[in-house]
Amino acid sequence: MNKELTCVGGPVCNEKLSAGLIFAEGQNLTHQNKEALWEIFEAIGRNWSNTIYNSNNQRSSWYEMLKAKTENAPNYTGEYVNAIYVINELKAIYGIGGAYKKLFFESGIDNSAPPTNRLAHCKIYVVNEFIRMQITAGGFKSWGTKYGGEQAKNYHGFLGGTRYNRVSKVRAYDPDATNLKADQE
Amino acid sequence: MKNQFDYIIVGGGVAAATVAKGLLEHKHDTSILILEAGPEIIAKDRRFWWDYITKGERPYTFTYDQKFEADSTGNIDYQTEGVRVKAYGGSTMHWGAWSLRFRPEDFNLFTNTGEGADWPINYEELETYYNDAEAFLSVCGDDSANWVPRSKPYPVPPFEWTAADGEMIKAWEQLDVVYQDGDINPGKSSKIKSGKMPVARYRKCMTTGTCKYCPIGGRFNAQYVLDDLKNDTRFINFEVRTNAPVHQVNTSSKSKIESVTYTDNLNGKEHTITGSTVILASGAYNVPKLLRASKNEFWKDGIGNDHDLVGRFVVSHSMLNVVGKAQSNPNGWFQEYDFPTLMSHSYNTKEHQKKGKIFMFKNRTTPNVDIAQLMIDGKTREEIDEIVYGEMTINIQAFLEEKGKHGNRLEARPGKDRFGLPQTTVHFSRTEKEMKNANDRLKLLEQIIEKMGLEVISSRVDKPGGHHTTGTARMGTSPENSVTDKFMKVHDTDNLYVCSNAAFPTGSAVNPTLTLTAMAFRLVNHFINK
Ligand SMILES: Cc1cc2nc3c(=O)[nH]c(=O)nc-3n(C[C@H](O)[C@H](O)[C@H](O)COP(=O)(O)OP(=O)(O)OC[C@H]3O[C@@H](n4cnc5c(N)ncnc54)[C@H](O)[C@@H]3O)c2cc1C
Ligand code: SF4
Repeated sequence: MNKELTCVGGPVCNEKLSAGLIFAEGQNLTHQNKEALWEIFEAIGRNWSNTIYNSNNQRSSWYEMLKAKTENAPNYTGEYVNAIYVINELKAIYGIGGAYKKLFFESGIDNSAPPTNRLAHCKIYVVNEFIRMQITAGGFKSWGTKYGGEQAKNYHGFLGGTRYNRVSKVRAYDPDATNLKADQE
Repeated sequence: MKNQFDYIIVGGGVAAATVAKGLLEHKHDTSILILEAGPEIIAKDRRFWWDYITKGERPYTFTYDQKFEADSTGNIDYQTEGVRVKAYGGSTMHWGAWSLRFRPEDFNLFTNTGEGADWPINYEELETYYNDAEAFLSVCGDDSANWVPRSKPYPVPPFEWTAADGEMIKAWEQLDVVYQDGDINPGKSSKIKSGKMPVARYRKCMTTGTCKYCPIGGRFNAQYVLDDLKNDTRFINFEVRTNAPVHQVNTSSKSKIESVTYTDNLNGKEHTITGSTVILASGAYNVPKLLRASKNEFWKDGIGNDHDLVGRFVVSHSMLNVVGKAQSNPNGWFQEYDFPTLMSHSYNTKEHQKKGKIFMFKNRTTPNVDIAQLMIDGKTREEIDEIVYGEMTINIQAFLEEKGKHGNRLEARPGKDRFGLPQTTVHFSRTEKEMKNANDRLKLLEQIIEKMGLEVISSRVDKPGGHHTTGTARMGTSPENSVTDKFMKVHDTDNLYVCSNAAFPTGSAVNPTLTLTAMAFRLVNHFINK
């Protein structure tokens, strides 16, 4: 069970819920809902400075994921709407910047335990999945340059599109003149 | 519902897909029924892919054997739990797609070492079928690497070595092959040679690293072939029935196979289907179980089991695994692919066969940092930077060749699994000498890790298991030494064939599926010429 820290958030965040996906079959996200969720996605990019370009470039991928997760069973709409409630409460208590800092770095949520309140649902079903999605879709690219090395080219799942095929997918080994090919029997 | 076919194929994996495709392309109206015990699980589904990316869930894992469905006895635990996919497409739903040829000496293990068995055919007889198999699986490989004799180039160029492979390549350059006790020609030394891992790619890769559920159908999956066959309007008499476990092969005399009986798992009804030829392509676990379950007045102990050999001589590969650690990773190396790109056959040669060959490769996932998980755990950008360039581990691994033993046997145990197939027990032991040899080989891998300037932090022999199980209905020259003949026909029958790793008399040190596919092409040719 999740050992929730009741000190984060207010009554909404700490309201008890069962661990399973919030039931939402037949429900849809509104345009407003999607804009509110996009704010979470952008906040991830901002807080980790992990996109070398604006998160907007990832918007179509992100939107496609949202569609896949809300138009097929099990439906995530209930989780997404819950996350919006949670964020609204956190913003009311900590202000915009403070809300995301709390949620990303100080939530106290055990990410490997079943989520049993609204805050934990928001962290595990929405924030954590958005983080994975963002890194996969290109958020890894800012790593790999610290020591002047070649920039990271890939991360598991990165789908580069057709243009991408012209660029090498990975950092390839560049053998010197004594290329081993010639040695093979 | 049609209940009579030219060919009935039990199982819906790569063996079944290859045979069906070969027969249909030869004669379009051939009637073929594939009966697959498991369900159909969609590949290339966007929701499934996103669930894999965001939650690590894969849609087919529920078909794996569970602990309560399989066990093992003997001095080594044999792993069946969590290994095989039982579904339309079989284990190619999640295989690694490494596609390597066996080497000539693998066909003559007994002649060369006095242990294990010989194949009733040799490498040369299979060579052209290897070309067919490589074209069919679309293997990306390096033509300049002549590890085994080949008469045709690879159909697709190889994947390049990753930057992270470089240090191991350099270490190999510095290390000689160390001939140990039990190897032929001790004292001889030569360089360890590096190679590019050949892998099967049905379509050009567009991404990396999620090959266990590929978003675009890049990695070969037998499901794509079966879909193509079903959708091809020329093949009007081809049919696949899923959720259809076969539990009996029926005969009308000792030699004549007449029909098979299966249960429709969706409604519990039993059906008996007659076929002119029956092919068991149900994998190395279920071929022997089905043969032994098919008892009748002509075959008191099950079909092909008059000499009590069915299910015996089971072999697999144990994985040798050595992990090295460096204090830092200043280049931010990362094994971007989900498969190894670097391999060596230097210990996979005839000289090392007596002691037990190994096939070495750099592990498919190291070095690696799960950046997303660190973010999920609340680490800051600065903390993650430290970790990305901090401690790094690299594994070297090797498959260890095993030799078939009469006492090692795979068989059914009472009870059915969730798909109506018999549960499994594997009796498997290794001799003291084999254990010692495995540990000697481990020492070689440790030397490589040390040459790379890494500290060895773990060195172990992992357990054998269902991944590469072979030998359970092996080919041979007579019913006294084998279950099937050189065309994989069950001895003393006219029309019952096995198309499976089960028929392999030896398992070599490399993955089996390219050889299985070559054998399937050879079987098709046999049918066509009959
Ligand atoms: C994790 C993993 C990774 C692997 N990676 C590689 C690799 O990189 N390279 C390589 O060469 N090999 C690899 N292999 C091995 C490879 O998957 C097998 O060699 C190959 O899939 C065997 O194909 P098959 O058609 O004989 O059997 P399977 O793929 O096992 O298909 C047999 C099918 O028959 C069905 N069946 C069984 N009994 C019955 C019955 N009585 N009635 C009806 N249906 C039945 C099963 O449900 C199954 O779907 C890997 C295996 C695993 C588990
Ligand atoms: S590397 Fe990417 S495209 Fe290629 S098989 Fe793996 S997941 Fe598919």
